[in-house]
Amino acid sequence: MKSSLQSLLQPLIAIVAGLLVGAIAIVIVDGNIVETYREMWNGAFGNFYFFTSTLARATPIILVGLGASLAFKAGFFNMGSEGQMVLGALTAAITAVYIPGPGWFKAIAAIIAAMIVAGLWSALAGWLDSRFGMNLLITTLLLNYIASLFAGYMVAYPFKDSTTNSALSQTQMIDKSVFFPKLFSGMTLHIGFVIAIVATIGLFLFIKYTKKGYEIRMLGGNPLFASYGGVSRGRLMVASMLISGAFAGLAGASDVLGTSYRYLDGSLVAANYAWTGIMATLLANSNPIGTAIAALFLAALQTGGMGMERNTDVPLEVSSIIQAVLILFITAKFTMSFIKRKKAGAKDGSTN
Amino acid sequence: MLLEMDSITKSYGSVTANHNVNFNLRKGEVHALIGENGAGKTTLMRILYGMERPTSGEIRINGKAVAFHDPTDAIGQNIGMVHQHFMLFPAFTIAENIVIGREPTKGLKFDRKTAMEETLNLSEQYGMPVNPKQKVADCSLGMQQRVEILKVLYQGAEIIILDEPTGVLTPIEVKELLISIKKLAASGKSFIIISHKLSEIMEVADRITVLRDGHITGTVNATDTNEEELSKMMVGRELVKLERRKLEYGDPVIDVQSLSIKGAKAKPLLDNINFNVREGEIVGIAGISGNGQSELLQAISGLIPYDQGTITIQGMNVTGASVKQIRESGLAHIPEDRYLWGVSKDATVSDNGIMGHLESTSKYGILQGKLIRNLVSEWVQRFGIKTGSLSTKAQYLSGGNLQKLIVARELAKETPFLIAAEPTRGVDVGAMEIIHGELLKRRDEKAGILLVSSELTEIMKLSDRILVMYEGKIAGELDATVATEEQISLLMAGGKAVG
Repeated sequence: MKSSLQSLLQPLIAIVAGLLVGAIAIVIVDGNIVETYREMWNGAFGNFYFFTSTLARATPIILVGLGASLAFKAGFFNMGSEGQMVLGALTAAITAVYIPGPGWFKAIAAIIAAMIVAGLWSALAGWLDSRFGMNLLITTLLLNYIASLFAGYMVAYPFKDSTTNSALSQTQMIDKSVFFPKLFSGMTLHIGFVIAIVATIGLFLFIKYTKKGYEIRMLGGNPLFASYGGVSRGRLMVASMLISGAFAGLAGASDVLGTSYRYLDGSLVAANYAWTGIMATLLANSNPIGTAIAALFLAALQTGGMGMERNTDVPLEVSSIIQAVLILFITAKFTMSFIKRKKAGAKDGSTN
Repeated sequence: MLLEMDSITKSYGSVTANHNVNFNLRKGEVHALIGENGAGKTTLMRILYGMERPTSGEIRINGKAVAFHDPTDAIGQNIGMVHQHFMLFPAFTIAENIVIGREPTKGLKFDRKTAMEETLNLSEQYGMPVNPKQKVADCSLGMQQRVEILKVLYQGAEIIILDEPTGVLTPIEVKELLISIKKLAASGKSFIIISHKLSEIMEVADRITVLRDGHITGTVNATDTNEEELSKMMVGRELVKLERRKLEYGDPVIDVQSLSIKGAKAKPLLDNINFNVREGEIVGIAGISGNGQSELLQAISGLIPYDQGTITIQGMNVTGASVKQIRESGLAHIPEDRYLWGVSKDATVSDNGIMGHLESTSKYGILQGKLIRNLVSEWVQRFGIKTGSLSTKAQYLSGGNLQKLIVARELAKETPFLIAAEPTRGVDVGAMEIIHGELLKRRDEKAGILLVSSELTEIMKLSDRILVMYEGKIAGELDATVATEEQISLLMAGGKAVG
């Protein structure tokens, strides 16, 4: 009990520090702290429409965060969520547009294809690390650029939407029959949120109660202990990167089928879903349920920021300042754990 | 009386680590503080060194009451402490490590020359030779221990606390250390030594205080007591004499043929190692640490690759096999460094317990909570593992209790072949008795055991056959029933076997 309270303490301190620095920023721009934060709260949760919008925004963030949390739990710093999500979204859009069949079939095929492609893309980095010792952190980061630029090319040339006169690099719009059903009419919230919640609980149970989940936890906790106990690092690395990427692919598919209805070049990158998801995971110390809560908080910060800007003279940037403080806290923690693992890796008999 | 600790009580919530403890120290005396893990020795010394504050009680130095808020206060009263885990900077020289905190300066600059000279003077004055220019990273553990002691002497310590000072030293280094302690005591320094090695205590101490469960069970003069009596005072009961039955050895459980590992340097790490262990036999590997024992164990268990050689376990060729395959062929392994290999510190006791037991504790890939709880709580009872609960994180267990958990886990695999590397390092007498008893029981059950230990007494007590490793080679093989400590020591130091 005590230890779970302690693990909550760190993110709470980070959030409180973020809000305090945000308060200073509000004072500097001559705003009223209480009023500004109230508007922010209202913008995120003030009425049912805003509340469901926040949940809708949280959906891809939760899914990406879950994927990252699985990789982090195993001790692998998967920084490639963005590229994985982009490829997932592209695959989902193309599949949904071109595969024949009824709507529900197209949707399911699109989801599965997106998860497979994104998962393989992510597993590639895992394989490069376990086979050739190429640093995962760096390869996943670099693969982001390849994925984004590749997707950009695909929608600028071969799969460019030719049905309209739009100059945008984007795919055709998917058929209405493939759209994710909305949870409430007139709201943006769609079934993807339900999928995200189910995935959260599923991943939590998987990590805590299954044999593979156990091996992932031990590998992340002390890789030498895991190898001593007969856990094969290479295979588990590829497998956990595969699943991690599949989650990011699901996030991309959920955006295409539930919100955007097509893949538009740069839209996912601009919305910053992937990095926000990674932030949520780091804030929650890779706990799946914590990740979902943190994702919701970060989404609320963004939707609330918009509400704040609408109703006060305080600019949207205050939200960014609060996020920046969170990032500062998280980076310090992340760097420490990365250094710790580097040290452990140096002692690993297999790598010298 | 130089130092008096009067009715010291220290409670952490409901746990009382020290209960009305009275302890004193005369000038020029060596006073040993002994007791099992968790008896409260370390807590008492942390109080004396200002790292903890007592709940009640008083500390007097030369009759004057003092209160320490932190170690700086204690150092100010000329108390110095050498911790069990050395606190040196490996990248710096011996002289730099000794003067740290009170560096001689020239203007604003660190005066390296004076530091060297002062270190040399100090080492000559106390008869503890060191090379001030040598980097600590290049020093043996015995030398590092010496640097630690010189460091506290440099800080002007009159009372020196040594926490498990011989734990990591070779037999020769232990002898040198004990001689140094006696010399320093004769020159007026006073020592408090925390230890569980009774033979060394009997040799060096003037008086001995025994703690059990936070209470003092007695303070005796070393001349008036013996090891059996001390053990009894520590454990609170008679120790059972180990029984080893005469056994017929069976087939080899492991056979190692011409195993070699080239090192990064000119010398190979392992050089043409040949040996076997048979059913019902304990083969002990003696040697000063760093002579290839770690590499040998890691190669056998599949953790590092080797350049040449064949390894057969239970008649199955496992050369180059994965850890998992090797374990399935019949190996259990008590690793030599329990924190590095043996546990995940952030994981719970039960999570640490089921590593390697996943087949029996899971169904369709799902962990069976009830089976796991039954399994691990049975070990906790049988081995007397002190833990808050099964979901306590391993990092909160003391070293001895963690070791018992690892031993229980590996023994429970009931494999025909067991590697036991330093099975009792840092554990107390009671736990050592349990672990030794369990190892002999496995031997009775016809398991073959490869025992690696830097404790000669442990090797001699348990082994049927003794191999001595020196510079990556097996320097000699001895029958344990006739081998003497001198013979083994000589082989360990690179000499030739005599007789």
